[in-house]
Formats: sequence, C-alpha cells, structure tokens
Amino acid sequence: MAVAALPRSGARSRAARRATTGYLFLLPAIVLLGMFTLYPFVQGFILSFQSWDGIGRDTPWVGLRNYQRVIGDTIFWVSLRNAAIFGLVGFVFGNALSLGMAIAVNSMKRGATFFRVAYYLPGVFSVVVVGMMFAWILQPSVGILNRGLDAAGLSALRGNWLNEPGSALPSVAAVYVWYHWGFGFLLFLAGLQSVPRELYEAASIDGAGAWARFRFITWPQLTPVTTIVSVLTLLGALQIFGTVQVLTNGGPGYLTEVPTLRIYKEAFQFQRYGVAAAMSMVFGSILVALSLIQIWMGRRLGSSEVD
Amino acid sequence: MAQSEPLVAPSQARAVDARAGIRAESRASASATALLGRVAFNGLLVLVAFIALFPIVWLLAGSIQTIQELYAGVTFWPAVPQFQNYWIAWTRGGFSVYLPNSVFYSTVAVLGILFAASMAGYALARVEFPGRAAVMFVILAIMIVPLPASFIALYKLLVDMGLANTRTGYLVALIAGGLPVSIFILRGFFLRQPKELEDAAILDGCNQFDIYWRVMLPLAKPGLAAVAVIQFLHAWNDYLLALVMFNSELLMPVQRGLTKFVSSDTPEQHILLAATAMSVLPIIVLYTVAQKSIIQGIMEGAVKG
Repeated sequence: MAVAALPRSGARSRAARRATTGYLFLLPAIVLLGMFTLYPFVQGFILSFQSWDGIGRDTPWVGLRNYQRVIGDTIFWVSLRNAAIFGLVGFVFGNALSLGMAIAVNSMKRGATFFRVAYYLPGVFSVVVVGMMFAWILQPSVGILNRGLDAAGLSALRGNWLNEPGSALPSVAAVYVWYHWGFGFLLFLAGLQSVPRELYEAASIDGAGAWARFRFITWPQLTPVTTIVSVLTLLGALQIFGTVQVLTNGGPGYLTEVPTLRIYKEAFQFQRYGVAAAMSMVFGSILVALSLIQIWMGRRLGSSEVD
Repeated sequence: MAQSEPLVAPSQARAVDARAGIRAESRASASATALLGRVAFNGLLVLVAFIALFPIVWLLAGSIQTIQELYAGVTFWPAVPQFQNYWIAWTRGGFSVYLPNSVFYSTVAVLGILFAASMAGYALARVEFPGRAAVMFVILAIMIVPLPASFIALYKLLVDMGLANTRTGYLVALIAGGLPVSIFILRGFFLRQPKELEDAAILDGCNQFDIYWRVMLPLAKPGLAAVAVIQFLHAWNDYLLALVMFNSELLMPVQRGLTKFVSSDTPEQHILLAATAMSVLPIIVLYTVAQKSIIQGIMEGAVKG
C-alpha cells in the first residue's frame, strides 16, 4: 500500500508545485488587473448608487436616484444616438472604403507596401493630433477646405463646418471615417490574403467574371472578417471621445455630444460623480453586450476555419 | 478593375485574331480600354493615399511657416523655414516638460506590460495548473469592459489611494489597461512554440523560470516586439486617462499638454501646429520603422480581442 501511494503523492506534489509556479508567473498581472480594473469596476457599481463630489471621502447612499437621473437625461440618450450615427456612417462608408481599397491593394504586384503603410497612417495618430489637424483644415476663414472651394469657384459651398448645426455632425463623422477606415482595411487585406488562390483559378476556368468572383468567392470567404470589422467599428464609434472633445466639445448645442464626453462632463465639470458612474454602468452594459456578440461571432469564425 | 483584365484580355485577343481585317483597330481600342482602366485604378489608389496623407503633410508644412504665410494661405514650402516655431513650442508651450514625460510614461509602461504580460502569457500557454481556464475567462471578461465605462471608478480609486495626479498612478493605470490584450497576444506566441524544446530544457536541468527566461522569451521576440510597439503607441496616444488624472502641468504627457496649450494662453496657429507636429513626429518615425510589427500587433489584437 505504501508503495502504491508513493508515486501518487509524488504526482500530487508535482501538481501542487506546478500550480504554485503557474500562479507565481501570473502574480504581477493578477495584482495589477485585480486592483486597477476589477476592483474599480466593483467600486464603480457601488458608486453608481452613491453621491460623490470628486474630492471628499464622504459618499452618501442615494439608492436609485442616479439611475433615475440618467433615464431622465435626454442629452445622454442624444449622445448615444450620435455615437450610433458615427458607428453607422463608419459601418457604411468606412467599410465600403476599407473593403474596396483592400481588394485594390491585394491585386497589386508592386507598391502594395507603400499603400498599406500610407492608408493605415492616420490610425496611429492620437485623437488630439487628429482633432488639431482637422480644426485647422476646417477652420472657417483661412482653413484649406474653404480656400480650396474658393479656388475651385465653389465659394457657395464654403461652410463654418464645425459650428453650423447642419454640418457639425457630418463633419465629425467624416473625420471619424478618415481616422479609422484603415483598421478595417488592414483586416480585410489579411482576410483576402487567406482566401485560397485555387478558388479564383477554378472560377476563371469556369469563365466567371470579376463581379461573379467577388459575389461568389471573395464576399462569402470574407464574411467572418466583415462581421468582426463591423462590430469593432460600432464599438469604436460608441467610445469616440477625444476627437469630438477637441473638434467641437459636443457642440453646437449638443449636436455632436457623445456618451464618453457626457460622462466626463457630468463628473469633472458638474461634480456629479455618482450620476456619471451610473451612466458608465448603463453605457458599459451596452458595450459589453456588443462585445459578447463580437466574441460569439469570433467563435463562429474560429470554428468555420477548422471545418 | 485591374482584376478583370487577365480574364477579358485572352478572349478579346482570340477574337481579334479571328477577324484579321479589323485586327489593328480592335486591338487599339482594347488596349485603350485596358489603359483607361489602369489609369482609373491607379488614380483611385493615389487619390485615397493623398487624402490619407494630406492632413499630416499640411500640418508639417504649416508648422514651419510664419503666421503671415499661414494666414495668406498660398504657401506650401515657406520662403524661410521657421524652425524656431518648434523652439517656441518647446520652451513657451511647455513641451520641454511634456515630451520627456511622454517618453518616460510610454517606456516604463511598455516595460511593465512586457514583464507582467509575458509571464502571465507563458503560464497560461505552457504551465498546466488548476484554475487556468477561470483565469483566462476573467482576463477575457476584463477585456470587454472598455475604458469609457470604468474611468470614473478608476479615478475614484486613485483618489482614495492618494495616486491621482501622480506618475505612479498614471503608470499603473496604463499598465493595467494594456495587460489583457498583451497577455492574449503573447499567449498565442508561446502556444505556437514546439514542446520538444521545453522537454530538452528540462533534461538539461532547467526549471520553469529558466525555460521561460532562456528558451521561450527569445523565441517569442516577434510577439514581444509587436506588443511593445503597439503598447508604446497606446501609451503615447492616451488622452482620456491623462485628462482625468493630471492637474499638475509638470506631470502631463504630450497629448494632455497639447490640449492644455490650446486652451490656456490662446497661442498663435503656427506655434500650435509646430507643437502638434512635435507630438506626432516620434510616432511617425516609429510607425515607419516598425510598421510590420505594428500592423501584425493590430491584427493579432483585433482577432484575439
């Protein structure tokens, strides 16, 4: 019996040692993530039922009052709608551009690297830099856009792009597309490169034209990439913050207000941190729901690759 | 458009051969169509590249002009390049403080992320221990809670800990924020390494740490490089955290400093453009040099995230 027990306890102690090793390796990450992401999340949930001025230690319990305020805050819902519009514009125009240009660059024999690097360049700029660039380009009196329109004899089209109610939201949306379309472009390009060449060769032998090859090979093969890009575009658009803050700060009025900016102002401008925390919870739930959809689609992508 | 050429051209060529009489004319028109298609195709590629590159070129050009040239708006390359715009932004705009701050924050954040994420990624890929799946699940769960949903709570925590408006507070927030996706990318790299190397190392008497440090880390260099450049970009470009974290100008990184500069003393446009250029030039250099790693990191992050 003793002999039989020995290897077992040896295996057990080895397993215990492996567990210790595993958690020792994980320790720095677990401490950092636990303290600065998990714990704040719990604290944020609690804060959404409290009132806090941003300075003191005093956080009196207010129950559901913060949430009632959020529900009644029409500007918050307007900001969500605006963010959804950015997402929709990014989805339609951004993805059409990304896919089109990815197909074009993929078919190139020389120079593909240059175009790939150039097209993604805007994506590495910070939100502040993008804001500053376009504040200058769209500047109403001396900005290059209005000057260019003058030079082309189209002075009638001049605009105070970021300050007029009609043009503020479309202008910010255009900047958003300019800033982010390269991301989808990269993913589409990678997706195209993984489409088996034999499919196209077979189709060519069958006499399929360019449209037929796109419709029956490229498009279905890209479906997983398309879904991921779409969800990420929407998620990214909902979280837009810096670009809007620098370009319009949500104005004119609240026409370009977005959720993160609304949360920021609620906390740091109006000192209603509890209400801001409640907004974060509502907004966070929406984003998490979307992320779950994305992961679910990612899983399907993974399994379809195996098939 | 160019894609259709290889398909269409052979059949057209055959048709041309069959009707020798109109051969020359038909071939000319076919090649004209092909040429037109090629010009339109390349024109479109170039146009999109122009739109992508124009804003940064315009910014850089404006940053070395005089204020008169800038407002006259007819200059692209200035008569005399005004490099002192950069000097003014550096001294009066506070960039002699913001820029070194950003270098410091980004570098330390990258080192911290590489350290914690490579160890965690290694354990999750190569060490079998109970609760591994649960840890993976929690990290995934953390990853889907985005910053806009948690920055108020993070701010409160840092206030409670006395870490608001400090370098330490900003660094731990940057590192924690960069960890989940980095762990997943590096785990992927460690998973791809062959088991034989590990077995050989164990036979040579290596313990788990030796295997991580001497065998696996060198093999995962491309992954480490991708994580490093991506997280450097992230840290350098962070705005939201820096905005809520810092009141003290001495501690601000460039993005925060830039907006401070805009709002505080209403600087002249040419100095503002120089300041913006200064904040983005290191990123352009990094991107040009490391574009392969950056693009790889972005794609790994997107697919795994």
